[in-house]
Amino acid sequence: MLRTLALVVALSAVQSAPPVKTPQPKGKAPVSNEILRVKLPRPAEADLSNGLHLIVMEDRRLPQISFEIIIPGAGGYFDAPDRLGIAAFTAAMMREGTTGRTSQQIAEEIDSMAAGLGVSASAASWSASISGSSLTEHFDRLLKLTTDVLLHPTFPQEELDRYKQRTRAGLVQQRSSPQFLANELYSRVLFGQHPASRVSPTLEALDKASRDALVAWHRERYVPDHAAIAIAGDISLAEARTRLEAALSGWKKTGAAKPVVENPADLGGARIAMVARPNSVQTSLFVGTQSINRTSPDHPAFVVANRVIGGGSTARLYNNLREQKGYTYGAYSGLSAGLYRGSWQATTDVRTEVTAPAIDEILGEIKRLRTEPVPEAELQEAKRAMVASFALSLESPETLINYYITRWQYGLAADYWDKYPERLMAVTATEVQQVAKKYLDPSRLQLVAVGDAKIAETLKSRGAVEVYDTEGKRISN
Amino acid sequence: MRRLALELLISAAAITASGATAPKVAWTDHKLPNDLRVLVAEDHHAPVVSVAIVYNVGSRDERKGRTGFAHLFEHMMFKGSANVADGEHSRLIQNNGGRMNATTDQDRTLYYDTLPANQLDLVLFLEADRMRSLDISKENLDNQRNAVQEERRLRLDNQPYGRTFEVLQALAYENSYKHLPIGSMEDLNAASVEDVAQFFKTYYAPNNAVMAIVGDVTTEACLARVKKYFGDIPGQAPPPQVDMTEPPQTAERRQTVEDPLARLTRLDVAYKIPDAKSPDLEPLQVLSLALGGGRSSRLYQSLVRDKQVAAQTGTAVGETRGPGLFQVFIAVAPGKPVPDVEAALDAQLEAVKTGEIAAWELDKARNAARRSFIGSLGSSFDRAVLLAEYTAFLGKPDKINTQLDEIAAVTAADVQRVARKYLRSESRSVVVTNPKADAKSDGAKGGA
Repeated sequence: MLRTLALVVALSAVQSAPPVKTPQPKGKAPVSNEILRVKLPRPAEADLSNGLHLIVMEDRRLPQISFEIIIPGAGGYFDAPDRLGIAAFTAAMMREGTTGRTSQQIAEEIDSMAAGLGVSASAASWSASISGSSLTEHFDRLLKLTTDVLLHPTFPQEELDRYKQRTRAGLVQQRSSPQFLANELYSRVLFGQHPASRVSPTLEALDKASRDALVAWHRERYVPDHAAIAIAGDISLAEARTRLEAALSGWKKTGAAKPVVENPADLGGARIAMVARPNSVQTSLFVGTQSINRTSPDHPAFVVANRVIGGGSTARLYNNLREQKGYTYGAYSGLSAGLYRGSWQATTDVRTEVTAPAIDEILGEIKRLRTEPVPEAELQEAKRAMVASFALSLESPETLINYYITRWQYGLAADYWDKYPERLMAVTATEVQQVAKKYLDPSRLQLVAVGDAKIAETLKSRGAVEVYDTEGKRISN
Repeated sequence: MRRLALELLISAAAITASGATAPKVAWTDHKLPNDLRVLVAEDHHAPVVSVAIVYNVGSRDERKGRTGFAHLFEHMMFKGSANVADGEHSRLIQNNGGRMNATTDQDRTLYYDTLPANQLDLVLFLEADRMRSLDISKENLDNQRNAVQEERRLRLDNQPYGRTFEVLQALAYENSYKHLPIGSMEDLNAASVEDVAQFFKTYYAPNNAVMAIVGDVTTEACLARVKKYFGDIPGQAPPPQVDMTEPPQTAERRQTVEDPLARLTRLDVAYKIPDAKSPDLEPLQVLSLALGGGRSSRLYQSLVRDKQVAAQTGTAVGETRGPGLFQVFIAVAPGKPVPDVEAALDAQLEAVKTGEIAAWELDKARNAARRSFIGSLGSSFDRAVLLAEYTAFLGKPDKINTQLDEIAAVTAADVQRVARKYLRSESRSVVVTNPKADAKSDGAKGGA
C-alpha cells in the first residue's frame, strides 16, 4: 500500500507541464464536409447440422475465397498453468501429418496452389483458429486438405521432435526483442496469474510436451458445438453450406458445454517494473491498466478516448513525444477488450537519455484526458476519422467479415454495426473524460520499461522498482 | 449507393469475364506540360480512391557525407507547405477517414494516400501543395532529425542483427547501394537546411515524379483536377544520373559481425543479380520460391526440417534499378556449426543447378503470381503503387498485367540457367553474425 501511495504522489508531482500545442491548421485545403456514410453489407448466416455456425460474405468480384474456423475452448487460455503451450503446440502440429498425408505433402499441396492454411492458438486466447485462402478453382482441394488437418492429424512423434527443436530456437530468439520483453512483463504485471497474462509458451513446457497431451487436447477440444466458420469471397451461402456439410460430416457434435472465461482479478495497485536489457540504446515503455469487456457500455467512449490520446499519428501522444519533443519515432495507445477484461496502454520507444521526461509526458497526457474535457473540434475530428474510415473497408470482404466475427463472438445485436457509427458520433467530451477518470486513475497505472540497467535510478524517483533480467527472473527490488 | 451497385455489376463482369483469361487492369496514361506523368485507373467497386506518387530519388542519389538524407527529407514533406500547416496533411487525411504514409528505399521515395472517394480534391491539393512549396525550417529539420535517429535506433541499433544489414550491404556493393536508406547518425547530424532546399528543387519536381490514381473516380474529371492542382508547378532541369555500374566481382567477400543483442547465429548470403529490367528477374523469382518460399521450400525441408541445422530460412530477390541481390538468410539452430550449415546450403544450390525442377515447383510460382495479381485487384492502394512503381522503374506500367504471363512462361531450364549463372561462390558476399556475450564490445570486425 505504501508503495502505491508513493507512486501516486510521484505521478501527480510531475504533471505540471503545459499542454502541448498542435500547430494551427491553415484551413485552406478543400475538404468535403460530407461524411461518406456507408452501409456495411450484411453476411448470410446459417447453422450446420453439427452445430457449426456459418457466416458467408459473398463477393463475386474476384476469383478467390478465404475462411476462418474459430474453435472456442482450444486456445491457450485453457492451458493448465504447469503445461503452458499445449494449445499452441497442438495447433502447430496439426499441419505436420495426417492419416492421409505427411508433413511434406501437406506443405507441397498448400504451396503449389499458393494457398494459405494455418492453425493457431495464441497464448491468452479462448479459441483456436484455422484459417485458409485460395483461388476459387483450388477451393475444393483446400477444403479437403483442411478437413484432413482438422479431423485426422496424427501428431507423428518424429515430427514433434523436429517441431520442438526449431520452436526452441524461436523461443530463445524472441527474448532478444525489447518489444517482446516489454509486452511479456507488462502482461504479467497487469494480469498476475490470470491466463490473460500469457504471451508465449515456455521452454520448460515445450520440453515437457508429450504426443499424448497433444492428441488428448485435439480430441477433447476441437469440437464443433460452439464453433463458427466465416467465409468471404467468391462463394454463396448455399454453395458453402453444401460443401461444408459434405466435407465436415465426420465432425460430430459432442454435447460439450460452452467454454467460459473469467475476468482477471482487480489490480492490487500501481507498480513499476523493468527489464534490465544490456546494450539497449532505447527504453521501451508501456504505461497502462486493465480495461473493459467488449460488451461494456463504456466501450464506445473508451474507443474515442483511446483515439484522442494515442490512436494514430494525429493523436496527442504522437504529437507530443515525436512531433514536439523529438523523443521517439512513434508513440501510440491501444485498447483491447474481449470476453474477459482486456488492457489499455500507451507505448513508445525512446532514447535512453530521455526516459524520464518521456514518462512525464505520457503521464501528463493521461492526466490531461482525465482532468480536461476534450475540446469539441478535436473530439469531432477523432470521431469523424473513425466513422469515415468505414468506407475503406468496403474494398475487402475479408475486412468486412471480421466485423461479423466480432458480432458473433461477443453476442452483439444483429444491427450492431449498422448503429455503430451513430454510437461513436454520439460520444460526448464528458463521457470521454468519465471513462478516463474511471479507468486511468494513477492508482491503477502500471509502468513497465525495458532498457539499460541505469534507467532503474530514474524510475526509483517514482516509487519502488522491480527489476527483472531478460530471462524474466527477478533480480532486485 | 444505387449508382455504386450498378457499377459494381459492370466492374465485376469486366474482371471475372472468364476463368481462363486472366483479368486485366486498364488505365489511361498522361503527361502534363510540366512533365508530371499521371496514370488513372477507374474502379467503382467501393467508394474509395488511392493516390501513389513515386519521386525518382532514393538513397542511391545521396552524396558522400549525407547518407540517410533522402529518407530524412521524406519526413520533412509532412511538416507543412505554403497552404498546409505542420502536421495538417496527416490530420486532414486521417480525420476524413483516410490512411497515408510514405517510404524511402534505395531507388525511390513513395507517398501514398487512400481515402473515401469524395475527398479526391483534398488529397490532390495536399500532394500538389507540398510538391510546389515545401516549408523548410531549421526547427522542423531538427525535430525530424530526432525522429529519424530514433527510427534508426528502433529498427537497427536496439535490435538483434541491425548491424548485419548494414555490413552486408556495404560488403556486397561498391556503388551507392553501399549504404542503407536509414543512413548514419553522423551524416544525419550533418544535414543542413540548405541541403533540404537544394534537394527539394532538384528531385521534387513534377518531371521527376509519377502519380497513379486508382479507384472510384471518372478519368476525365480526375484529370481536370490534377491539372488544376499540379499544372502550374514548374518543371526543373533533370536531376543528375547516378552511375550504378558495379565492377564484376571475382572473389567471395566475407565478414563476421559480433552482435551483443543477438541470441542465435545468423548466416546471410547475397549474390549479385541484374537490375529489375532484366528478363532474368522472373526465372530468379521462381528460383527464389523453390528455394525459400514457404514450408515446402527446399531450404526449409532440408535445413530446418530434415537436417535440423537451421531454425528458419528465407530467400529474396531484389528488384532494383541498379544491380540487385539474390539473398539467402538462415537462422542457425543452437549449437550447429556454421560450416555445416553453409555446406547444406551449397548442396541445395547445387541440386537446383544440376538436378530437376519439379512441375509442382513451377505451379507454385505461377499460382503465387496469380494470387498476388488478383489480390492487387481487390486493393486500390496496391494497384496505385504497382502502376506508379512500374512506370518509374521500368517505364512500363503494363508490367502489372504482363508479370503473370512472364512468370508462367518460365521453364525448369530457365530456373537452372539463372541458378548456374548467378548463384556462384565468387559473386557472393557472406556475413556471419555471432551472438556476443560480452556487453562492452561495439560491433563489426573481420575482413574479406
